[in-house]
Amino acid sequence: MELFKMTGGELHRLMKEKKVSAAEVAEDVYARISKVENGIGAYITPTPEEAIKAAEAVDKKIASGEEIHPLAGIPIGIKDNICTKDIKTTCASRMLENFVPPYDATVITKLKAADFVMTGKLNMDEFAMGSSCENSAFHITHNPHGLDKVPGGSSGGSAAAVAAGEAVMSLGSDTGGSIREPAAYCGIIGLKPTYGAVSRYGLVAFASSLDQIGPMGRSVEDVANLFYTISGQDPYDATTMPTRYPKTAEGLGYDFSGLRIGMPREFYKHADVAVGASIWQVIRTLEARGAKVVDISLPSTDYGLSAYYIISSAEASSNLSRFDGVKYGFRAENYNDLNDMYEKTRSEGFGDEVKRRIMLGTFVLSSGYYDAYYKKAKLFQQKVRAEYDEAFKMCDVIVTPTAPTAAFKIGENVHDPLKMYASDVCTITVNIAGLPALSLPIGMDHEMPVGMQLIGPHFSEEKLLGIAKEFETMRGGLCQVASVV
Amino acid sequence: MEIDIKKIAKLSRLAIEPEREEKFQKDMQNIIDMVEQLPEMEAGDLSPKVEDAMALREDVVEPSLPREEVLKNAPQVAAGCVVVPKTVG
Repeated sequence: MELFKMTGGELHRLMKEKKVSAAEVAEDVYARISKVENGIGAYITPTPEEAIKAAEAVDKKIASGEEIHPLAGIPIGIKDNICTKDIKTTCASRMLENFVPPYDATVITKLKAADFVMTGKLNMDEFAMGSSCENSAFHITHNPHGLDKVPGGSSGGSAAAVAAGEAVMSLGSDTGGSIREPAAYCGIIGLKPTYGAVSRYGLVAFASSLDQIGPMGRSVEDVANLFYTISGQDPYDATTMPTRYPKTAEGLGYDFSGLRIGMPREFYKHADVAVGASIWQVIRTLEARGAKVVDISLPSTDYGLSAYYIISSAEASSNLSRFDGVKYGFRAENYNDLNDMYEKTRSEGFGDEVKRRIMLGTFVLSSGYYDAYYKKAKLFQQKVRAEYDEAFKMCDVIVTPTAPTAAFKIGENVHDPLKMYASDVCTITVNIAGLPALSLPIGMDHEMPVGMQLIGPHFSEEKLLGIAKEFETMRGGLCQVASVV
Repeated sequence: MEIDIKKIAKLSRLAIEPEREEKFQKDMQNIIDMVEQLPEMEAGDLSPKVEDAMALREDVVEPSLPREEVLKNAPQVAAGCVVVPKTVG
């Protein structure tokens, strides 16, 4: 039995029926890691010893007849910007290369309570800034469906590990598309939750008003179970809201008859013809089941990137000022005085993309420019929200491409920041409006996966997951573990 | 808007090596030209709304991390404190 190819739901049922043990599952996933990780590079820190120990504890529970959580014994990888007690959390940066958090992020506390098995910490763009995973200070990650292609970013390791069978599910984080774009590029399912649905406590902050942690997996059931487990109000994150999600994915589905699908024309002009065509093909099959297409307009989409880079960089410049070589992280070796130490520490510890964002943020917040940039961007944010509110009066869900193209070649965009930024044009306004959105694989273009994005009103994750589940059932499954050759 | 990369770097507590200044200047200029495309906005109210109010915890003392745990990741520590270069003359 190739256990690494199975979904969390399948493994849970096998474990409950005592046909397979959690230790066997963990061992099979690590055997897969040993086999393909050299070619993929999804992990920064694999944690096999801890994983086997956690799996054995689950097996004891099963043996003693205890009820187990749907995620008990399921191997799950964690993006390396989510704090894990006593296990290095580097943000793929030299700045935090040796940082060992003394506490768990709230999402980790919740997963531990569910008896999950952590496979390790996953590669990413440094401080989650990037769309290709090429900004990691340690190594790049390859797309399991085509090793010369990027896995997307910034949660590139999280997507690649799940696509390659090196983890059954994973957690990523999404500030402007960092869960959805890599999920699309790697042919898996990724959910960016509503802002405030999942606690950010223990997530190393990039842009606090946009960041959300979210689940990635190979089945809708898995993504739903992982989301329901990590969501909920948290006293340690004042921006979280009380939520009323179900406890498990059981009974997930959706009746397409009468479903109003909003198709915003602005998104399609940014997308490749092949990507647009794949989505329309899907829409036709949903129409055959009774769904109705509504032509909608979200005119602010075209300016989303401008507003995003102002708001996110402004917040990043402030958030990343904590990396000063004093409290934690890297400190330069030779310096003359305190200011020199700050400057050398930050110049040696941060990579180029992080420096560009800090400088952009510093510039837009600097004296005399605040009104022209930051204030304008915040006003624009209200406009984006209002446009989505209007759109949701006319439709139940908005369907767009997740990314304008399938995964691009490693190295292709690395010298042109603006070209790299453009790959997030379809995902970015969702973060600006704080909405939930899900990316699911719908087909292939030149042998690389293409993703479709479902956007819903605030806290409508159950509906998005239901629609995705119904579509998955229609298709007889959406994701397959890449063979990695 | 013309930018002064040296000034922005200094404000950001970053130093750019002289041989890389030109590339950074060009990239940053392109990025700023891009964000400048944001259209003019009508004046609006950006003050926080009641419905967006965050839920705050009661102001009570709770257990927190012991000092040695907190200092475990600091680059230089002495006598239970972080060590920094001399800050007053």
